[in-house]
Amino acid sequence: MSRTTPRRRSRGALAVTLAAASLLISACGGSTGSKDPAVQKPVKPGQKVDLRFWSWVPGVDKAVDKWNATHPDIHVKLEKIPAGSSGGYAKMRAALKSGNAPDLAQVEYQEIPSFLLENGLVNLSQYGADKDRSKFVDWQWQQGVFDKAVYAIPQASGPMGLFYRSDLYKKWGIKPPATWEEFAQAAQKIHDADPKAYISTFPAGNSAWFTALAWQAGAKWFGVNGDTWTVNINSPQTLKVAAFWDDLRSKKVIKTEPDFANGWYKDLQSGAITSWVSAQWGDAIISGNAPQTAGKWAVAPMPQWTRGSNVSANWGGSSTAVLKGAGHIPEALKFAEWLNTDPTSVDLLLQGGYGWPAAADGYKGSSLDKPSSFFGGQKYNEVFAEADKSIDNSWKWIPTIDATYQHLNDGFQAALAGKGTFVSAVQQAQKQTVEDLKRKGLKVSTGQ
Amino acid sequence: MPTRAPRRRRNLAPVVFVAPFLLLFLLTFALPIGYAVYQSVMDVEHTGALGLGGSHTVFVGLGNYSDALSDHAFVRSIGRVLLFAAVQVPVMVALSAGLALLLDSASARGVRFFRAAFFLPYGVPGVIASILWGFLYVPGVSPLVDGMSHLGVSVDLLGGNNVLWSIANIVTWEFAGYNVLVLVAQLRTIPAELYEAARIDGASAWMTVRHVKLPLLRPALILTTVFTIIGTLQLFAEPLVLKPVSSSIDSAYTPNLSAYNEAFTNDNYHLAAAEAVLLALAAFVLSFGFLRLINKRGGDA
Repeated sequence: MSRTTPRRRSRGALAVTLAAASLLISACGGSTGSKDPAVQKPVKPGQKVDLRFWSWVPGVDKAVDKWNATHPDIHVKLEKIPAGSSGGYAKMRAALKSGNAPDLAQVEYQEIPSFLLENGLVNLSQYGADKDRSKFVDWQWQQGVFDKAVYAIPQASGPMGLFYRSDLYKKWGIKPPATWEEFAQAAQKIHDADPKAYISTFPAGNSAWFTALAWQAGAKWFGVNGDTWTVNINSPQTLKVAAFWDDLRSKKVIKTEPDFANGWYKDLQSGAITSWVSAQWGDAIISGNAPQTAGKWAVAPMPQWTRGSNVSANWGGSSTAVLKGAGHIPEALKFAEWLNTDPTSVDLLLQGGYGWPAAADGYKGSSLDKPSSFFGGQKYNEVFAEADKSIDNSWKWIPTIDATYQHLNDGFQAALAGKGTFVSAVQQAQKQTVEDLKRKGLKVSTGQ
Repeated sequence: MPTRAPRRRRNLAPVVFVAPFLLLFLLTFALPIGYAVYQSVMDVEHTGALGLGGSHTVFVGLGNYSDALSDHAFVRSIGRVLLFAAVQVPVMVALSAGLALLLDSASARGVRFFRAAFFLPYGVPGVIASILWGFLYVPGVSPLVDGMSHLGVSVDLLGGNNVLWSIANIVTWEFAGYNVLVLVAQLRTIPAELYEAARIDGASAWMTVRHVKLPLLRPALILTTVFTIIGTLQLFAEPLVLKPVSSSIDSAYTPNLSAYNEAFTNDNYHLAAAEAVLLALAAFVLSFGFLRLINKRGGDA
């Protein structure tokens, strides 16, 4: 016996190793991507359904709690993830590839086409989503519609305006700029009045912001004609915006630090950054990161390219999408509808600062529709309500928008490092974007 | 019969002992590499503007490799890590060797404390270390930058060409202690008789270092050099974490960052696989090139 024991033990160890290895193998090969609607298990009456939901929107946890308290048969498990471009989408794409995606996820409008191209979104029209169309602002609803099918339930958008430090503007005798020309003059005046103060930063690493400015200037970067994409990033309107910021940069009257970073928050607190052309959801960013500046901010309409006109743009905007592989699509859709239309839910999301509601009539009578002490008693959302009506709603996104943002970021950053200009970065991004789409095997034409 | 059984058992033993390693090696190392190589020669084709007409994977040969090598940003990123390695490897090895020799010197005090202190940063995960140093680099937040600007020295640690060396500083801080430990362990294996003999022959402390310690330290020095070469080429966490606070780190700052972005941001998994294979090849060539160079010199001596 004693002689055979070691041998047996070694065999046992081998067996354990093999078992562990086979577990590994099955873990790798077990899950197989998307499930067909036909494979969906029907829910028996009284059966509890569990849904997984990935989001980063502030306040969404409270809305989910509310849903769980009022819907005992459908339990939503919220998993907070990093904001999309900070790693959230990377996480979702990896999960989709490994067949491990959650049922629901936060997807911004500009990302919907790229998730479609990856075959990552469920066609919600097959589950009767079209009946909800009237509950939403129409252009936001259209952001989730492709080939007449609904792929995402809209949540919020970001109509733009100008946040500014009314106390400092008053101190230096500067009026909030109504045009971009006045913006440039104000930039000079502010920097002259206090060498440490700047009107704004140019966030070279955040091209989504630049895109919104080009949108306001009347650019139409992308279009689709049949199955051919048109790319027109280097239009005169975009180049005008790029040249405008090139000029401010060369005069050194703007900062060039990244936004949404520690240094920038510090500058918001100290008054080194005195204004921010931003979306409505910027209110929560300022009040959350520079609480000591309460009462000193105000909001004006976005500066205009033509005096007297009133054109705004949209920055950000988000939807709730059902990802391929979801186990219970009808229940997931039900939750997505509730989350974005139920007045209690919308109000909880508004308190978190999720943006401008996509729900029709989400603004009137909501917590947005009140004067704010942080903004010196101004009923500042009236500015954004007005802006929301003056956005070119025909703007379209391409499935490789992230790459385009990266090209612009890289080009802008190179310009800051002394290589090229913002204008040449735009020209370069045009060429690279055409290549990106071709790489995906898509048809592309340039210009109009 | 009774005599054959133990023999068979002996023959089986090495296989049994190696099997767990071999199995895990195949599963977690060889298989993923093989899969990456396979992915790198394939690509996805879509039908319709949004791929709603379906998609399928096709064989493209070396197409992804030529795409990767004709991407200026990716080629620049390789150049950047090579420059980084050219500076970082000698600095790291010299610093680690210096610290290890100090710890090992006869007159060293507080050896246990310093050994632990040197090693401590290695226990801090790379991401945390980068966040930590990030705070020390951002103007307006960093006591270092603000303190220096009070003294009239304005330096942008996150800008232009500086940021690469700011990253080098983080990497050195993180890994020097680990290399010191490897070198100290090797120094401990040198028999005391050799030192005694050196002393009897009248060798000074410096001569002992030069002619006894350093030659015997060679294997460990080679090991740490190879580790450092591979480590610097794979630079990833530090630039990724510093990217949001620096305007000078682009999406393809290092080859790994480029592959990460192609895979998880642009959904070009096949291109990313090609970039990863190219990087692995570069690390392979450099590491083995270094070993060959060393062995040749060793043979000549």
